[in-house]
Amino acid sequence: MRRLDVSTLDVLSLMRYDACTRCGECTSTCPTGGEAQDEELVTPRGKILRLKEFHKRQYGIRARLLGPRDISPAELKEFSERAYQCTICGQCRTVCPDHLDTITMWENMREFLVANGLGPLAAHDQIVKSIENYDNPWMQPRTQRSRWSKKIEKEVRIKDALKGKPEVLYFVGCTAAYDPNIREMAVNTALVLGRAGLDFGTLGNEEGCCGSTLLRTGLLEPARRTARKNIERFEQTGAQTIVTSCAGCYKTIRQDYPLVGKVNARVVHVTQLVGELIESRRLKLTKGLSRTVTFHDPCHLGRHNKLFEEPRRILESIPGLRLVEMERNREEARCCGAGGGVKTAFPELAQKISDLRVGDAEKTGAEIMVTSCPFCYQSLKASIEVKGSSLKMMDLMELVRESCE
Amino acid sequence: MAGGRYLKDRAWLYVPFVAFIVAISLVILLLPYETVYVRDRAYLRAFLATVVACVAVFLLGMLYNFLVWMRGKGLAGTPERRLMRVLLKSTRFVLSRRFGRILSVFVKDAVYLSKLKDRSVTRWSMHLLILGGFITMFFLDIIVTFSMDMAKYQPMIRDDGWAKLWIRDFGFDLAGLMMLAGLVIAAVRRFALRPKIVRTEAADSASILFLLLVVLGGFVLEGIGIAGTVPMHQTGNEYSFVGLLFSKAMPAAIGQYYDQVWLVHGIMSALLIAYIPFSKLFHMVATPIAIEAEKMLPSGASA
Repeated sequence: MRRLDVSTLDVLSLMRYDACTRCGECTSTCPTGGEAQDEELVTPRGKILRLKEFHKRQYGIRARLLGPRDISPAELKEFSERAYQCTICGQCRTVCPDHLDTITMWENMREFLVANGLGPLAAHDQIVKSIENYDNPWMQPRTQRSRWSKKIEKEVRIKDALKGKPEVLYFVGCTAAYDPNIREMAVNTALVLGRAGLDFGTLGNEEGCCGSTLLRTGLLEPARRTARKNIERFEQTGAQTIVTSCAGCYKTIRQDYPLVGKVNARVVHVTQLVGELIESRRLKLTKGLSRTVTFHDPCHLGRHNKLFEEPRRILESIPGLRLVEMERNREEARCCGAGGGVKTAFPELAQKISDLRVGDAEKTGAEIMVTSCPFCYQSLKASIEVKGSSLKMMDLMELVRESCE
Repeated sequence: MAGGRYLKDRAWLYVPFVAFIVAISLVILLLPYETVYVRDRAYLRAFLATVVACVAVFLLGMLYNFLVWMRGKGLAGTPERRLMRVLLKSTRFVLSRRFGRILSVFVKDAVYLSKLKDRSVTRWSMHLLILGGFITMFFLDIIVTFSMDMAKYQPMIRDDGWAKLWIRDFGFDLAGLMMLAGLVIAAVRRFALRPKIVRTEAADSASILFLLLVVLGGFVLEGIGIAGTVPMHQTGNEYSFVGLLFSKAMPAAIGQYYDQVWLVHGIMSALLIAYIPFSKLFHMVATPIAIEAEKMLPSGASA
């Protein structure tokens, strides 16, 4: 009989499993379990109850007295698949009346699944191998990482951070660096930083994956190795500030890296830095853009890091731009469906969730849906195209760049 | 060699723990209970024996649950050693200046349930009534036991004493009514309205029904006392406003069964205490701890 290894479940998570009152508040707002497929086992309550049941069967009082009971491979497979259908968006943490930090619970649950050979899913393997072999999840050669910057070489000076010792290190992130449809995000960010006259640079082809994908799928050890390598590179640059344009990289470097090693530089998201540049008038947004936009809060930026007002302040400082809010915004914003490895393993489910979010944006009457995360951008843009929506998807830095031309 | 493999490595948790259970049991058994009204003292002895057993089961259940938590990743040493460290750190935390600040947050989050209020006023009221009633009754029990059997405070003992009327009669009825109202809301919501987010399993039904039986049992007992003009139920019955209502539906002759009903109610209450660590009701303990745990655990518990 197979006995689950529970040694990877952390103390706080075990407490939180018992603290859950099973009220179900999380079930209705869960984008994957409640809204997209009405599947209880995917919802926070469903996962908690099932894991507690497994734990009880093998480690409960009865199990200790009469011996553990079996958990069938089919049950374990079902649980693992359902657990990986969670985008770890954190909506459940927002609504939980018991203040349970569900985000760390789900990440720890995935660590537990990996320790028991139940995760990550086969679909994630390719990404994991790619990160290990190519330092990015897109199976792209390292030499192509800085290709995005070629076309703006003459417009803006981007230092080689390892040699030029810039004040600010721009951590581009794999998606913006490699995905041809997202590269403009990196281009626009660099142009905006350049317009502000910032002394900045990138790691070029030496930049590695931040490890977010590894962490979110429960692969802690490779994620730690990645983090250590990156921290070493950061220290070599001597940069005082690290800025990311990817919400996932930002969360990882700001929240997860300190658990592995000390990051001496100040870590900010581009919305924070650009906001400061606008406020200090180093960056002037002069060109009016008479458009109506709505802002989608990326989970890793908003709920996970509480950066709700920073992007909105930037939008409000663009002359002529009108910001309209979706019904669910800020802390209550619906997820785009891409996070937590869902888009890789369950693309149809991710699409369903993206469609719901695009539907939210359509209801506002806005012409443009703006976000500040390459992953959200990618998913929402695909959904807009599939739905044939009249919305236009834009990255926040694209608007800023247009306004400061 | 890793510690904790032998009984000697665990003894320093279990010895004080068993001593604690013995001390509590002695306090329960040695109190005079002169003022408790029950005609046949054998009923009182049966009740006290049940309470001692149930309190022991409660404490063992709590210890068991805490040790399950302590088996988690993030702390060094055996679960017993971890638990002792956590208890010591928690004690230091409670005695520190920070505790005052945290206490207000704790009351707001874990007692007043501020977040639930924003999401659903009905559920917030339901929880607040049940929890408020439970906490009030717990503290009233302590006050009454102390003032009657230790301090021999006459206004609490005398049938017409102000403390008896306001605390033992009115206070308990109010707390019981709060719990009853909350439980009725919970039962109607769970069993009649059945909103989509509610998922009812045996454990959920058992907790609600158990609590309802105990609370209703208390009012029935009081009603029997008033209807049968049993001693201590002969004056100021209007203060026991809920019990008085129950008594209206009871014949005077029912008073002869007061002792039996008293014992059943007492045993049910004691069993409820023993049931807490093994039931859904454990969240009453786990949730407040989980809210504050990060501040009290030694560092690295979630790394």
